[in-house]
Amino acid sequence: MKAFDYAAPTSVADALKLMEPPHTAALSGGTDLINRMKDYVSSPERVVYLKDIDALESIESSSKGVSIGAGATLAALLEHGEIKKTYPSLWKAAYEVATPQIRNMATVGGNLLQRPRCWYYRAGNGLLALKDGKSLVREGDNRFHAIFMTDGDALFVNPSSLAVPLIALGAKATILGPKGERTVPVAELYRVPKGSQERELTVQHGEILTKVVVPATHAKNASYEARHKQAHDWPLALASVALEMDGQKVGSARVVLGAVAPVPLRSEAAEKAIEGKALNHESATAAGDAAVKDAKPLSMNAYKVQLTKVAVKRALLAAVGDRYWEEG
Amino acid sequence: MAAHDLKDDAVRGHSRRDFLRGSSVAAATAVLTGQATTAIEEAKAAESEPKVLSGELKITLQVNGESRSCTVEPRSTLLDTLRHRLDVTGPKRVCDRASCGACTTIVDGVPVYSCTTLAVACQGKKIETLESFDTGPAGVPHAFHQHDGLMCGYCTPGFVTACKALLDKNPNPTLDEVRRGLDGNICRCGTYIGVLEAALAAAKAMKGA
Amino acid sequence: MAAWPKEPRLIGTKVPRLDGLAKASGKAKYPSDVRPEGTLFGVVLYSPHANATVKSIDTAAAEKMPGVKGIVVIAGQGKKLRFQGDDIAIVAAETEEQARDAVRAIKVDYEVLPHCVTESQSMDEKAPQVFDGGNVRKARAIVKGKPEEALEKADVVVEGTYSLPVITHVCLEPHGLTAQAEGSSKITAWASTQAVTVVAGELAGSFNISPADVTVLTEVMGGGFGSKFGADIWGRTAAELSKKCGGRPVKVFLDRAQEHLAAGNRPSATGHVKLGASKDGKLVAMIAETYGTGGVRGGSNFPLPYVYDLKNSSRAHAEVSVNAGGARAMRAPGHPQGCAIMEAALDDLAAKLGMDPVEIRVKNLAEVDNVRGGRQGETINRTPMYEAQLKLGAELIGWRDKYKPRGENGKGVVKRGLGVALHQWGGGGAADKQVSCTINPDGSVEIKSATQDIGTGARTILAMITAEVLGLKPTDIKSNIGNSTFPPGQSSGGSTTTPSMSPPCLAAATQARAAFFNKIAPALSTDAETLSLKDGQVWVNGEPTMSWKDACRKLGMASISETGKFADGLSSVGVGGCQFAEVEVDTETGVVRVKKIVAIQDSGLIIDKLTWESQVYGGVIGGLNYGLFEERVMDPTTGVMLNPDMELYKLAGASDIPEIIVRAYETEEMKNRGVIGVGEPPTIATAAAIANAVANAIGVRVPDWPMSPRNVLNALASKEGKA
Ligand SMILES: Cc1cc2nc3c(=O)[nH]c(=O)nc-3n(C[C@H](O)[C@H](O)[C@H](O)COP(=O)(O)OP(=O)(O)OC[C@H]3O[C@@H](n4cnc5c(N)ncnc54)[C@H](O)[C@@H]3O)c2cc1C
Ligand code: FES
Ligand code: FES
Repeated sequence: MKAFDYAAPTSVADALKLMEPPHTAALSGGTDLINRMKDYVSSPERVVYLKDIDALESIESSSKGVSIGAGATLAALLEHGEIKKTYPSLWKAAYEVATPQIRNMATVGGNLLQRPRCWYYRAGNGLLALKDGKSLVREGDNRFHAIFMTDGDALFVNPSSLAVPLIALGAKATILGPKGERTVPVAELYRVPKGSQERELTVQHGEILTKVVVPATHAKNASYEARHKQAHDWPLALASVALEMDGQKVGSARVVLGAVAPVPLRSEAAEKAIEGKALNHESATAAGDAAVKDAKPLSMNAYKVQLTKVAVKRALLAAVGDRYWEEG
Repeated sequence: MAAHDLKDDAVRGHSRRDFLRGSSVAAATAVLTGQATTAIEEAKAAESEPKVLSGELKITLQVNGESRSCTVEPRSTLLDTLRHRLDVTGPKRVCDRASCGACTTIVDGVPVYSCTTLAVACQGKKIETLESFDTGPAGVPHAFHQHDGLMCGYCTPGFVTACKALLDKNPNPTLDEVRRGLDGNICRCGTYIGVLEAALAAAKAMKGA
Repeated sequence: MAAWPKEPRLIGTKVPRLDGLAKASGKAKYPSDVRPEGTLFGVVLYSPHANATVKSIDTAAAEKMPGVKGIVVIAGQGKKLRFQGDDIAIVAAETEEQARDAVRAIKVDYEVLPHCVTESQSMDEKAPQVFDGGNVRKARAIVKGKPEEALEKADVVVEGTYSLPVITHVCLEPHGLTAQAEGSSKITAWASTQAVTVVAGELAGSFNISPADVTVLTEVMGGGFGSKFGADIWGRTAAELSKKCGGRPVKVFLDRAQEHLAAGNRPSATGHVKLGASKDGKLVAMIAETYGTGGVRGGSNFPLPYVYDLKNSSRAHAEVSVNAGGARAMRAPGHPQGCAIMEAALDDLAAKLGMDPVEIRVKNLAEVDNVRGGRQGETINRTPMYEAQLKLGAELIGWRDKYKPRGENGKGVVKRGLGVALHQWGGGGAADKQVSCTINPDGSVEIKSATQDIGTGARTILAMITAEVLGLKPTDIKSNIGNSTFPPGQSSGGSTTTPSMSPPCLAAATQARAAFFNKIAPALSTDAETLSLKDGQVWVNGEPTMSWKDACRKLGMASISETGKFADGLSSVGVGGCQFAEVEVDTETGVVRVKKIVAIQDSGLIIDKLTWESQVYGGVIGGLNYGLFEERVMDPTTGVMLNPDMELYKLAGASDIPEIIVRAYETEEMKNRGVIGVGEPPTIATAAAIANAVANAIGVRVPDWPMSPRNVLNALASKEGKA
């Protein structure tokens, strides 16, 4: 880790001022940033610690929904009764993130803005991992990489487990910067970088993510994560669904996929496949199949296509309380 | 230390600022351009801003009920500070990347990975390491000892600390809750069976006491 | 001559380890915890390239960095760097942060050379030949009988290719030591090692002094698994730096990445196997072509055929070199690989024959498979032992009720399966080790030997043996090990520590007791023959007469000190065991969950049942990691390891641990054999048994370890012709 200057403001206004100089990084739980700094993948010259700002930590629910401060830890999110009850997709995704210690440290803001875990990026080859114009990922070991949007150079996967259900639930993020405040759908925090000078995040230098607001909902919602280890491990595929029911049928659906593309990916094909249908094994399977129609796996990750299918199917069925895979 | 600047993030919007180190770029720029008065005004305005710390710092930490002072840098982790500066060597450095739990330390009542926590950020907080735990029959260390929840013992401080934190929060855990509570820790010798037994025994003992 | 007591009070019981509370309360000081006054921190600069030559190296800027006190260049100009992680230089500075900065300020100009980091890269016909003597060294086949002919005549033949990846030791305490030189004539080192004496010898060699002038201390240490037998270049350089820095202690411990890269690994293994049998399941022949890589060091060969009796076999092994860190011994070197491949092929054969896997195993044990028995020259036949173990294991896993033939495990998406595998191991004791036992007038008892406790419980075992003989409690004994200046002790490896150290310990305690009796008999107005020791009392003619402490006072000023030597007949060699696994496989996701493991193990006379069981649990869990999770991933293009961490290098956590049932196969005949170690055998068969259970559950062999969703789904897809 390179040496840096450090400040710990207690107000957002102070934080914004401190964030002004170039090469400044916001530090929340540190579970991503500090690791990157130790690996010299990121070497900010100034670090502004946000966790002393109490105002960023609150989680408040109202009739309009729930507002989650960017500084709220995943542990706090999990302890929030309203979230568990109304947004089980979010709760479950957070429940499966990492470890108890990380959930005690990691914040919702940091989770949404963590950088990709692509092992080529983390080994210092740059976000797109291009060498002499060739993709190290494409040529190398891509077992954990993208299976969607693989025509481009961005082959890493978005690492945030929370982004997936938040997008399915239609959450919005509030960002405060030198030019004021803006609120965007969570999906718009991400983009597919076009060149090596672009980041995968839309948050600009000097900006702070202050909160996400999840709208009130009656949608049945659920997440399913496929992973290798039971103890802490990253998802190999993650799906979150939010379903507005129309009697026994699905009225409108949102299906979002994680860990399979450089951005959390909405699957309109899966949504279409399930809308207007009664939710059962057949329709859920069809929606899973539809979800992977456009998948183009790399040399070593065709298995993730199968996992994505199953994740969609299981998330849909879990939304109506069918967890058939637990019965054997 | 795999060498050299191979790894610096390629994405940097601005050029590097090599010699300016201050709380306000504007003030520093003003000094350079000779507008001294502006610089002083700017500096005054900056006084209300929190201090920007840099280089070697003297800090005081509350460790196991004692005030302990030492010199660190902003980049010094809590773990390295405890181990290398204060000789509090219960917490171990194993992965140094928030994945194994050997460094688990309780900060303000909550178990965290001290390898990924900055020491400067812990000033004023209550830091507890397992050296402060009750070693008597009602304590977690005793249960680990009796149930052989350790072999080489290098992961053990992390497990004991995570276990203590778990039981403080949930005095009646089920076996599955114990497993989940200890999922942030890795043991290479493979002592999990003893560890799980110890955790359940400690839960009983703590209540009995 | 000393003999194991017929009716022991302590031996065979469960005694918590003596250093357990110190370890569990954070008070035990590991070598990496020790920081003597004035300690400098050493940080290693290592190669970022898989194959390169150092064109030039310039440390001038680094020397001038704040806090830097010394730099030693290991790979100077012209030196070859053969893998990512190969050592270049070590910097010692006042703080670790400063040492790290200085390492990055060392300027190295590399000539980057072509590399081969995977077996397939290295074996490719067009591969650059990066190793002297070629990338691939094929040994001539070892042939027994007439395998080709016998296979032709076999009723059934299976053919398959099975492969296991390279895994690394991941000792939680990194390799390293803190060295303090006194001029050029003396060194003290706090080392994380499995062999204090070897480290002392190595440091002495590098300083050209006598090992007696080196003190290596290893009070406790954080895991070795076969990778920590020397001072290594890191330790030797730490000592050199200490000398260079005026005798200030220098602490060098590797970072996690270099641990994976340079501190040892278990070689990979791939086997193309043809196995034939007659209709009744009797094996007739095996032809196996295998290869593996031990990185730049070799050593990938492994035993095959394994355990079973084959009259006709041919085995050819090729050693593939790659630009990756060298292999080191790792828990039962070679055996887990041989076991996995043999047992997989055997199970595939059983499935083809429609035979029960337990039955086919019993059928193919050698009629006579002799290992050492109790007395010199005496042997016992391992075959009936295996049969008894299989019977017990099958009962404990519920084989009769639960076993279904391969692929007939229900209609649901989650399938259950059972698997079994057998293993064997040597072990044995070294004959030149010693233990001293001192009885002091204040009643304290101290035993000393230059062995160490790497988590096996060696310290506690020596105290138990001594306490058994002296009628005391284990906690009454000061079990002083981990010091190279003590009487010569065994390295902790190969499951040889307990069998090497227990006999001299028993001898030392027995001799000390005899000397003690002779000394105090007059004071008790009796003959030494009438004396015995029990419950902290001295007994005269079977009557408790005086407390141990009071009796010791009669020694006056002089302590009794006796050194025991190894004696034959107290320890033995050669064990077998079997393991059963029950798994659940989610056929939609390829996720395998192990539900239960049964491990039956013989290991002669067991001293501490508690630490013995822990070692078996630990072996099983190590095998579970090998079976389900572990894999070193190398990047063919850049030549680096992609997962040198503890996150994408996957290791089981608490939620991954199944129910594990451990049973000692401990008959009278076994006990008579004396002590045998147990560090390695129980880790051998687990990965094999798990893979067999997976095949049983899903109806198709997953030929590549680990049993990851990727490998399982690929196998399922190939079954459906979708590969
Ligand atoms: C072993 C392991 C397993 C893991 N498994 C998972 C998993 O399964 N799913 C998953 O989602 N994650 C997983 N993680 C990642 C973990 O969830 C993230 O590291 C964590 O959520 C980041 O939060 P933080 O507060 O620690 O962020 P930090 O490390 O403090 O920050 C992360 C990034 O966000 C920026 N940032 C932080 N807060 C703000 C803010 N308010 N405004 C602007 N920028 C900000 C920082 O500058 C930094 O670039 C895992 C991590 C580990 C180590
Ligand atoms: S050392 Fe901190 S989690 Fe591993
Ligand atoms: S006891 Fe050795 S790593 Fe856990």
